[in-house]
Amino acid sequence: MKTLNFSFSTKLTFDNYVHDHTFALRCMPVESPSQHTVSCEMNISPFVPTRNTMDSFGNTITAGYISKEHRFLDFEINGRAEINLSNPKTDFMPCYLYNSAYTVPDKALKEFYIELSENCSAETPFDRTAYFSDKISDIITYEKGVTDTKTKASEAFALKKGVCQDFSHIMLSLLRLDKIPCRYIAGLACCDGETHSWIEVWNGEKWFGFDPANNCPVNEDYLILSQGRDFGDCSIDRGVMFGAYTRQLQLITSNLTEVY
Amino acid sequence: MFILKHLFCFALKILLLRKGVIYVINTVLNADEINQLLRRYGVKFGIYKNGQFKEQFFPFDPIPRVIGADDFRVIEKGLVQRADALNKFLFDIYHEKNIIRDGVVPEDFVYISSGYLPQCEGLTPPENIYSHISGIDLVEGKDGEWYILEDNLRIPSGASYPLIARELTRMASPDVFKTNGVADNRNYANLLKDTMDFVNRGGINAILTPGRYNSAYFEHSYLAELTGASLVQNDELFVEDNMLWQKTYSGGKTRVGTLYRRISDEYLDPLTFNLESLIGIPNLMEAYRSGNVAIMNALGNGVADDKGIYYFVPKMIKYYLGEDAILKNAPTYLPFYEDDRDYVLKNIDRLVIKDVAEAGGYGVIFGSDLSDEKIENLRQTIKREPRRFIAQEVIDFKDLPILENGEQVMRKADLRAFVLSGETTRVWASGLTRFSRNPDSFVVNSSQGGGFKDTWVLSR
Repeated sequence: MKTLNFSFSTKLTFDNYVHDHTFALRCMPVESPSQHTVSCEMNISPFVPTRNTMDSFGNTITAGYISKEHRFLDFEINGRAEINLSNPKTDFMPCYLYNSAYTVPDKALKEFYIELSENCSAETPFDRTAYFSDKISDIITYEKGVTDTKTKASEAFALKKGVCQDFSHIMLSLLRLDKIPCRYIAGLACCDGETHSWIEVWNGEKWFGFDPANNCPVNEDYLILSQGRDFGDCSIDRGVMFGAYTRQLQLITSNLTEVY
Repeated sequence: MFILKHLFCFALKILLLRKGVIYVINTVLNADEINQLLRRYGVKFGIYKNGQFKEQFFPFDPIPRVIGADDFRVIEKGLVQRADALNKFLFDIYHEKNIIRDGVVPEDFVYISSGYLPQCEGLTPPENIYSHISGIDLVEGKDGEWYILEDNLRIPSGASYPLIARELTRMASPDVFKTNGVADNRNYANLLKDTMDFVNRGGINAILTPGRYNSAYFEHSYLAELTGASLVQNDELFVEDNMLWQKTYSGGKTRVGTLYRRISDEYLDPLTFNLESLIGIPNLMEAYRSGNVAIMNALGNGVADDKGIYYFVPKMIKYYLGEDAILKNAPTYLPFYEDDRDYVLKNIDRLVIKDVAEAGGYGVIFGSDLSDEKIENLRQTIKREPRRFIAQEVIDFKDLPILENGEQVMRKADLRAFVLSGETTRVWASGLTRFSRNPDSFVVNSSQGGGFKDTWVLSR
């Protein structure tokens, strides 16, 4: 077991006033047998009362509404969590077996999958995941700025470039073609100043984590903020607002450190 | 008064023969006059064709469809049974999933369906009701038997058309309804209001419309007027403290307890579904999940009215209610099953093939209309994507008389019956009869140029 201190903040700045701003945040760590939040504090500015609900995927949603005009929205969380991967997670949803909006494979991905599965002699979901991830890291280069939050697995696969989110989507797409249920994870990882994404794979009894961008299994240095079928279910902040603004600027910082 | 006088000036004698009983109807109204009146009331529907919005008039035919009291009792019982089973199915799918575990419905049919929303897993709507208003389409076969064509459990429209047509014909000829013992259909407003009140979580009833460019805008406004609900668009609504509010003109807010929404699931809450939606209400799902607002119909109902799931409804009735289905499905084959696939591929030239992803009469293919080359293509497509299609025998349905240029001609017609589920499940003693204006066509959808009739249910 490891104890981790976490902090996460985002600053949204608009270049003109906005109003009737409704937002939904998914940044409270997910509670599970292998991840327990000891303490967590959230601050939102401008101050606005918020309500928490839990969505169908197990994420805490912090919902709020700002009617008055404002030019920024900042929120931050600070807390401490205990990670213990020896306690298995067994929550399951059938939808994780089926490809979703971001992971629907195109012809190229399907062909790549056929080639992969023909050459893969591994049998267990874990070994197959490791094999697929190996092959992906051979052909996909980690590069920032070429993809964005709307990029689908097939698009990133065509570019042969992308960030952690794209690696996750491509892996999910392939594993689901392989009839292995799996899900998208958004969270924080040690030694990574931003938010990170990885996947969880169902081995028939429980979930195990795998980090395709780093091509390695997940250890206790990872904190899960949200989970779902793909990025669409997991976005850390989503909002709708009215106003004559033309641009919004988002600054995200995060920190995850082990407590000794 | 001017208009009423004109309506009276046309008197025709029509004999309606039904199961050996002869009803003499003294007056049949001048169809042109009624249609003019409907036009004035804005009884239209809009369609998008080639990217252009067009408002179309929904032509009314003055000869009603008449359903005898005995016939209707059977239909009523069958529809209540069907709607109850479908509601239980929806609850089961979003909770325990026993029907899948027990092997009655294959899981692929549920989870691949675009109407299935994982975002609704574990979510329980107020009073456990998913389909508050079910629009169930039936046809009467030449054998006198009624068959279910499809279930519409998302936002079935159409109740307003027979309502307003009855309203106008009643003004013109009030005696007809009394003399013939026609069940009064004006109670739809009460049925609808009762249904909204029953699930209301505190606050007003509101009908959410995407606005006047929506195909059913006439209906939205008419139903709001009849039920006393507030007709609203999304920019008047917001979610605060996980409750749904309507902005008032004085700058205050009024709580909404029931939202009868006429917007499809994927546009309803941009923060849960389609972020691009401009007609939704952000965080509506959070208010709904917290049990602070009832949404009619519930989200995720599309999984139960999927054309592929239709096949399983009689099995659902048996599974949940322990009863045999009173109303039959049209004989249906699922290419998903090997035996059915062989049958479909062999008999494709005389079957109706339906693409499960399409609605509104689109994606309905009659094998008999296709060239040999197209049949071969369709066979290949079915082999490649068996889950995408269902195939049905062509039902020889009873034609109904309509007036065309003063002449009586026979046309194909179906019936959309409305079942309302609140404290009890009730069937509206009327319904929307749609007919095809094209003598060769079986497709009666209004978006395909069909017209409508009033539906008279006899009370004796």
